[in-house]
Amino acid sequence: MNLPLNPRAVATNAAEAVPALAINHVSKTFQVAGKAVNALRDVSFSVSAGEFVAIVGASGCGKSTLLRLILGLDTDYEGEIRLDGARVRAPGLDRGIVFQEHRLLPWLTAEGNVAAALRRSGLPSAERQRLVAEHLALVGLSSFARAWPAQLSGGMSQRVAIARALVNRPRFLLLDEPLGALDALTRLRLQEELARIVRTESSTALLVTHDVDEAVFLADRIIVLQPNPGRIARILDIDLGPHRDRSAPAFLKLRDEVLASLGVFHSS
Amino acid sequence: MSEATIAGSAVQGRAHVFPRAPLNRFLLGLVVPGLLLCLWQIACWARLAPDYILPSPLSVAERFRTELHGGTFAEAVGASLSRVLEGFLSGSSAGLAFGLLLGLSRTAENLFGPLFLAYRQIALFAWVPLLSMWFGGGEAGKIAFVSLSCFAPTAVNTWRAIKAIPAKLRELAAVLTFGPLDYVTLIALPGALAGIITGLRASLIYAWIATVGAELFLDIAPGLGGLLNEGRDKFEIDLMLVALAVLSVLGFICARSAAFVEKRLLLRWRLG
Amino acid sequence: MKRVNTPLSARLRRLAQGLAVPAVLLALWAGLAAANRLPEQILPAPAAVWAALLDSAASGDLWSNTLISLERVFEGFALGALGGLVLGALLGLSERCRIFLDPLFMFLAQVPTLGWIPLLILALGVDESMKVTIIAWASFIPVVLNVHQGIRDVPGSLRELARVLTFDRWYSVTRVVLPAAVPSIFTGLREGLANAWQTMVAAELFASSEGLGYLISMGRQLFQLDLVLAMVLVLGLVGLLVNGALGLAEQRLLRWQEHAP
Repeated sequence: MNLPLNPRAVATNAAEAVPALAINHVSKTFQVAGKAVNALRDVSFSVSAGEFVAIVGASGCGKSTLLRLILGLDTDYEGEIRLDGARVRAPGLDRGIVFQEHRLLPWLTAEGNVAAALRRSGLPSAERQRLVAEHLALVGLSSFARAWPAQLSGGMSQRVAIARALVNRPRFLLLDEPLGALDALTRLRLQEELARIVRTESSTALLVTHDVDEAVFLADRIIVLQPNPGRIARILDIDLGPHRDRSAPAFLKLRDEVLASLGVFHSS
Repeated sequence: MSEATIAGSAVQGRAHVFPRAPLNRFLLGLVVPGLLLCLWQIACWARLAPDYILPSPLSVAERFRTELHGGTFAEAVGASLSRVLEGFLSGSSAGLAFGLLLGLSRTAENLFGPLFLAYRQIALFAWVPLLSMWFGGGEAGKIAFVSLSCFAPTAVNTWRAIKAIPAKLRELAAVLTFGPLDYVTLIALPGALAGIITGLRASLIYAWIATVGAELFLDIAPGLGGLLNEGRDKFEIDLMLVALAVLSVLGFICARSAAFVEKRLLLRWRLG
Repeated sequence: MKRVNTPLSARLRRLAQGLAVPAVLLALWAGLAAANRLPEQILPAPAAVWAALLDSAASGDLWSNTLISLERVFEGFALGALGGLVLGALLGLSERCRIFLDPLFMFLAQVPTLGWIPLLILALGVDESMKVTIIAWASFIPVVLNVHQGIRDVPGSLRELARVLTFDRWYSVTRVVLPAAVPSIFTGLREGLANAWQTMVAAELFASSEGLGYLISMGRQLFQLDLVLAMVLVLGLVGLLVNGALGLAEQRLLRWQEHAP
């Protein structure tokens, strides 16, 4: 058996009869200019607690659509999506999401933005302040708590968004191409950060990305989707251990395998 | 602004650029009006036109002084101002509420939107005869008219601004499980603030137009419009010019104060 | 879970909702009038308003006065808009003009347009030229403001492009600056027409013996509320048509641009 990124997941795996996230034969069709477009066709997989799963695929393969369904933003589809056995009916604070654009509210400070996620949590004010401070520290932005989003760089804004997604201690952390809008250097740095943060928080993470290196670097399992219609091409286990070297042969081999499944052949 | 100026001069190929310092520009700006005033004054001294047709700038200034100290000038200004403010406060707050309603609720928009758009087709002053018939000509009718003039600009701008809130932020609200009140206070109002302020500024301008117009046409005194009528009746052009100058200055003060408030409210988190 | 919501049914629903409130109000109005609960000085019955409208149309009053109003608006608007385009362009293109003329213009523009009427009456009397002048002034101001701002807002990057392509002043202005400012110019024209319309109505209501505004005012003086209401509705309708016409013209001329309302 392959070791997932988070050792905690081993124990829970054994004890769990119900997977943390179960996608059962999910299909979704859109009406675009009168024609039916099959965004997802019969997608099924499950995610265990504490796992880090990446979904990779080219544009149009339905990966973002799938995230929206898991989030509960869209309930018009065929099939089932179950979280801990219960069907998803609406968005909830048990799922935190980091979008590709940071979507910070420009009129709130960094800490204001993180606190906004706690608005419906029902926690007392002192507890909220503590959580906000803790999570800003987690992403390394404590000294920027009072800054406005306009004053923050792209990478910093996205880190605030990550803090906001985590402040509720969600069961699931969903990431929709979170680093896509950033420059290459910041992306690499934030990938390290993400790995560290998810490990610290012991969250179950679902990352959607088109960056294969990113997926291999972060995930325990990679689900490769093919477009038109969106369906699973392959599922790969990543057994590289918690600290991964991007230039190691094992890393590159896995990366090439994923690329091959996507139809991109790497000549070495 | 300066970028365009430099680029503009560069396109012209001129070597010199006009002074940038606000004080110098301001002084240069006074040249033409100053020149005109001088010519005007000289024309009066040369008796090019009888005194009652063209009062000299000096006599206008003199009239201003006498009105200020003696007459009912302060009362007139106060009356006009209070009408503007009363009408503005009541009309724009109603407009704000209505705009919020239409912006936030698709149903409300479908129900009331078309009626509102139809209402807006009717020119503002067309309501004066109706209102004067309904209110009988008392002060309430005048305030009602000024209110009416402030309603639409704020309502329209608020409505548009709320609808312009990006779908991504509305999605964010759904994901954070915001209720309607959370959405309004944390996202809708701050996001629409710029548009709301634009509407309020437009309403303020309309409040002046409605006040002066109503005062002029319904022969309402005291008021600046009343002064204009008085000047016309008695053929006292200097009084009319005083009233017009005061209107301009008051309008300028209103516009500047509004711009100041707008900047203070919005600039905090905008940073250029 | 499949929802069948074709665009057509959604559109019909929206249409029905839009007509719902006016229909209810109309029914309420007619009902109260029929039950004699509505004093005539407050609100005459819908039937009376309709009758007044038909009378006015039949006697030709409606058409002749509407025509006069429209003529005035267009005459005044044409004059004001043309002048506004010229001054706006001058202010936008020439820093010299801006420094010297802008303060004076802004000072005059702060005065509510209608405030000039008493002075104009003394100068020109109460006849046509007074009305056309005030309507022209009312159109003038927004056109100047928008054209001026529109030209100033042309991005520096475009102006730089003109320079790099060694365009001379005239070419740069006519091929780059003015076309880029066209949306603002149209905004100014739209506002100018709206202002012209409003001013026409005000001027006709209070200082005229012909036109739609005059009909309203006459109805008021004769305490014929049904006539007043009928003419107010006609005013709204004509205003709508005029706006619509300008909107169509704008669409035609701005085809190269994605026009976001």
